[in-house]
Amino acid sequence: MDIRVLRASDIPLIQHANLENLPENYFLKYYLYHALTWPQLSYVAVDVSRPKKTPYDQPKIVGYVLAKMEEEPTDGVQHGHITSLSVMRTHRRLGIAEKLMRQSQLAMVETFGAQYVSLHVRVSNEAAIHLYRTTLGFKTEKTEAKYYADGEDAFCMKLDLGFIREQIRDAEEGEKTAEGKDTEGIDEGEAVGDVGRDPAKKEEKKFKVRVGKALGVGELVERVETAASKAS
Amino acid sequence: MPQPLSTREANLFRTVIRNYEDKQYKRGLKSAEQILKKHPKHGDTMSMKALIMNAQGKTQEAFALAKEAVSIDMKSHICWHVYGILYRSEKNFEEAIKAYKFALRLEPESPQIQRDLATLQIHVRDFQGYTQTRLAMVKARPQIRQHWTGVAIGHHLEGDLEQAENVLTAYEKSLSSQTPLKTDIENSEALLYKNSIIAERGDIQRALDHLEKDCKNCLDRLAILELRARYLGELGRKEEAANAYRALIDRNPDHPAYYKSLIEVLDITSGDEAAKKAIYDEYATKYPRSDAARRLPLEFLTGDDFRAVAKTYLTLMFDKGVPSTFANLKYLYSDSYKKEALPALAEEYIQERKDRLGEQANGDSSKGEGAALYFLAQHYNYHQSRDLAKALEYVEGAIQLDPKSVDFQMTKARIFKHQGDLERAAAAMDQARLLDTRDRYINSKAAKYQLRNNENEKALTTLGLFTRAETVGGPLADLIDMQAIWFLTEDGEAWQRRGNTALALKRYHTVYNIFDIWQEDQFDFHTFSLRKGQIRAYIDMVRWEDKLREHPFYFRAALDAVNLYLGMFDKAQATSGANGTESKEANGAEEAEKKKAAKKARKEAQKAEREAAERAAKQDPNKPHKAKEEDPKKKDDDPNGLKLAATETPLLDAMKFLDFLLQFSPRNIAGQLAGFEVFIRTGKYLLALRCLKAATALDKDHPKVLEQANKLRKTIDEVLDSLSPKTQEVIKSELATVPGA
Repeated sequence: MDIRVLRASDIPLIQHANLENLPENYFLKYYLYHALTWPQLSYVAVDVSRPKKTPYDQPKIVGYVLAKMEEEPTDGVQHGHITSLSVMRTHRRLGIAEKLMRQSQLAMVETFGAQYVSLHVRVSNEAAIHLYRTTLGFKTEKTEAKYYADGEDAFCMKLDLGFIREQIRDAEEGEKTAEGKDTEGIDEGEAVGDVGRDPAKKEEKKFKVRVGKALGVGELVERVETAASKAS
Repeated sequence: MPQPLSTREANLFRTVIRNYEDKQYKRGLKSAEQILKKHPKHGDTMSMKALIMNAQGKTQEAFALAKEAVSIDMKSHICWHVYGILYRSEKNFEEAIKAYKFALRLEPESPQIQRDLATLQIHVRDFQGYTQTRLAMVKARPQIRQHWTGVAIGHHLEGDLEQAENVLTAYEKSLSSQTPLKTDIENSEALLYKNSIIAERGDIQRALDHLEKDCKNCLDRLAILELRARYLGELGRKEEAANAYRALIDRNPDHPAYYKSLIEVLDITSGDEAAKKAIYDEYATKYPRSDAARRLPLEFLTGDDFRAVAKTYLTLMFDKGVPSTFANLKYLYSDSYKKEALPALAEEYIQERKDRLGEQANGDSSKGEGAALYFLAQHYNYHQSRDLAKALEYVEGAIQLDPKSVDFQMTKARIFKHQGDLERAAAAMDQARLLDTRDRYINSKAAKYQLRNNENEKALTTLGLFTRAETVGGPLADLIDMQAIWFLTEDGEAWQRRGNTALALKRYHTVYNIFDIWQEDQFDFHTFSLRKGQIRAYIDMVRWEDKLREHPFYFRAALDAVNLYLGMFDKAQATSGANGTESKEANGAEEAEKKKAAKKARKEAQKAEREAAERAAKQDPNKPHKAKEEDPKKKDDDPNGLKLAATETPLLDAMKFLDFLLQFSPRNIAGQLAGFEVFIRTGKYLLALRCLKAATALDKDHPKVLEQANKLRKTIDEVLDSLSPKTQEVIKSELATVPGA
């Protein structure tokens, strides 16, 4: 099992994993849209151990997180959103979903200055709710009635990413004090594996970020978004 | 020059354009008619009308009108532009490019036409043309970064890395007065794009310098860390490289490549197992939840060292009840020692637990035993270590411990499948499904097993439990909409086994069409990505799209189709040969079968229509669902593949699939073998020979290779005199090089 950032060539098998696992499905183009707009945010878990039968065999995708930035945040705050997350039933209990989420969250802060990350989850999906709430520290914002196509409600959940900004700042300060003496061993994201247990620990500083649609998005986005089911 | 209009009409004309852009087609047509009433031969208006008609699906009329408009107003760039857009919507890119170029000659500065032309040029991979067009755009608007980046992309993809870098540098220089914001993602990505070009040129030292100096504030931190580690390693600065890889492992301890690179730059020889293991142990302690650090040593350790580490690993996994343990380890089975050791350790685990816990093993503590039994069941079910009776024994043991486990039940079904009892396998998988009806994964598996058992209708009903209810046309339409290739392929193969050629062909063609859509999907990104500035990701996509059809998804469905067409051809040959009553009878039976299948397909279509109508009627009007305007282009005039099956030219139809097989997967022997069979039937002996030679090079001992070589010799003997002397000569000398000579 290998956790790494998504590549375009992974997309057919990501789409396949999604179709096999989840009722909310998307066109290939919607995955491309994620991969070409926020390529840093989506990750895959790959089963690299299968022997190739032909030179064209693709590594099997056993889990993925498809993530984006909210393009026009209604609250004016720059934030990320989890479009879809799934791990094959055969590869559960290895912590894959958590690992995928942590990589994505880190990149949301580093690359796009995300303040928080949001997601929707079926109110009946206890395993996922446990992961988000207990393992990752998400809080339930509200319940959206009949969010899913089959009529089920969704919890809107949010995780403040201040703790990651905090870590980055600490690492940068450590780097500065070390500068001039020894720049080796810069440790950018040390706590990735086990962070998030207590996200509300430190007071966060205010950051200036650019919000909204600085770069035109155009028709493409609207089309794919309406085309894909609204569930995430 | 376009014909001038009065102010009133000119305003109306602008309204037409706006209406078109807002997709208010009826209104647009109305305004256009108003203008045409006064100026019936106004080319631009005629063109706009054609554009709107095309959007409404009246393609033929639109083309006729646009053509007339062009001939009336030869000098209007609007007419030519529209003409190009029509061709583009028909995917006739060559003609579209010609028309755009005409338009551009009349209006050289039009940014819209320039952009449309550039997009098409890169879409068809005319990099030179693309670069030229982008250069013209830079000249017109040098302040816009996108245009410069476009030129660089053109040079880059054409292979001129030096020019690509120069263009990016030229733009940067023009910027020198203002420093871009730290949060400017476009700037950040442009710098990293340039860095990737420098590295691609092979100048690693300069790439490293550029990365550390110019890219130090770039926002993609992971890319910077990875590139730096790689450059340092390639430059032989091993100590720094080691630190860089350590930082990466700290960031993501589940990416095996980091460990392997670290070991490499630490100069640990591949034979030094102890030193390698020490590295992994260090991280297994630091990151107890990292699977890679614990598992990877199993790849290189041997003998007792392997046993010891494997035992610890298995114990941990079994205790946690991780279901994927076998899947994660089976690749070690290429080593026969490990293939023996792993199941022995699993047995040992079960025995030791029993000894330790005595009789009181129950409740939660049975989790470990279940996981170990499950591991053993999979072991004996695996093709390299198969003993299906034992597999069944172990899986029953596991099921006894946890009768509600979907995983255990699923493996039982898989064992039945390997026993060749597809009916039982499908039933068992359906039982597994019933243990967790809210999980789509097990639902998909159950449907797949039903398809393997040729139960197409049942499978669709199963899948229908999760497809979106509001899709018109039911589960099948939803699965097609959502591009569910796995289903289409399995469904087609099942229909093929059932003798329903029409539906089988229909499914394979649908897969083919989905690949067309996927190829077309890149179109919008040619402009979109320049706006977004994620150029590295865009380049990655372009390169992937160029080999899209080498995907095994394409290969499997296409090969199925080719083989099916071959069978159709051979059957037709056999019956037209007038070989007495026998073949006639076979023909009659086949006709009857065909008719039966057609009738059934018709009935199914009617049923689906009825159901869709019912569902539409039942739809809650309060629910937010978009009233979709029926897209006239979307109607399928052959939903059940009857027209496909009625083909008179099966081998010609097969070529559509075969061309891409040979082009994109030349090193897959199955494609070459199928190619031979098609070409020998169409009398293309040189091409048949080429396939045979390719197959020989891939695997000269393949049983089919000798068979085909003999077949080719025999056929050639029969027809040799009819071939040109040159062909005869080539074939003779080449035949001497294939097996059996």
